[in-house]
Amino acid sequence: MNISVYFRLHHRVQVKQDQTVVLKDIAIIDAPETLKKDLEKVQVHKVTKQDHNIVILDGIKVIQKVRGKVGNCDIQLIGPQQTIIEVITKKKKMSKPLFLIAWLLLFIGSAFTIMNFHEDTSMQTVHQKLFYLLTGIEDSKPLSIQIPYSIGLGIGMILFFNHVFKKRINEEPSPLEVEMFNYQQNLDHYMIINESEESIKRIDES
Amino acid sequence: MSLKIIFILLVGLAGGIAVGAGFVAFIAVLGIIPRIMQLTKSMKMLIYYKWATILGVITGTWIGLQEVQFSLHWFLLVFLGLFQGVFVGMLAASLYEALDVLPLIFKRVGLQDRLLYLLMAIVLGKVFGSLFHWLYYINL
Repeated sequence: MNISVYFRLHHRVQVKQDQTVVLKDIAIIDAPETLKKDLEKVQVHKVTKQDHNIVILDGIKVIQKVRGKVGNCDIQLIGPQQTIIEVITKKKKMSKPLFLIAWLLLFIGSAFTIMNFHEDTSMQTVHQKLFYLLTGIEDSKPLSIQIPYSIGLGIGMILFFNHVFKKRINEEPSPLEVEMFNYQQNLDHYMIINESEESIKRIDES
Repeated sequence: MSLKIIFILLVGLAGGIAVGAGFVAFIAVLGIIPRIMQLTKSMKMLIYYKWATILGVITGTWIGLQEVQFSLHWFLLVFLGLFQGVFVGMLAASLYEALDVLPLIFKRVGLQDRLLYLLMAIVLGKVFGSLFHWLYYINL
């Protein structure tokens, strides 16, 4: 009877510098118990300095490595066709000043853009006119609209992003988290196509 | 004479249709209404939200063009301002999201785990900038 071996590659794994990557690190394996023990230890990649920080490991390459060990088995690859190996050179430490700069960038940037937005849309005039229309009182600074407006601005953004500091308003991921996920997904897709030699066949001019 | 009037009516109508379609397209792209429905779990009420937007636009247009005048107490305007603020806040937040700026900044600076604090920077920046504008800047 033919024995089937199934494995499913992880989409993305992180490894350390100079680590020997074995099959267990990059895939979930399903095979008869005895075979599984051997399979888990199959060396699929050795991280070297030349690898920089991203290695794309194609499913076919993994199958080639495994083929020798299992002999006449039927190898089935399910799920992703390749694994992105991310080499972590050193523990990325977040620097406080950098964080502070990024924070200030966003703070000052958004403060200025909202002021420009108000000027652009002549919101002052609209507020003045609205105040007159509704109350019949002329007021060049209708603060009873403008202060609640400013606070509401913050509430609206929090509602949209679904976060108040650590507290979530509900369980769903916020649009920003989805956006970050999509961004990462696109990056991964690009790397899979462009960084692995298997995916591109060029005509060599020689 | 009547031909002129018909022509003017047509021009007005055409302008209205173009602007109205543009407004709806803008709101649709930014996805504020789906977001509100998601937060309030009221997907079934979509049709009412649609009409709320349409009626809001029509009311706003009418009031803006006419010289009507009410004599409401100024305190009622607090709610008006608050609602306007929430709406514009959601607008701004969704614009940020649509433009893909934030994922880029967060990834480049390597601060993904501090996402919340950076979000708060934007939110507080907006509130501060807005207050600064109304309380100080316009007096200059």
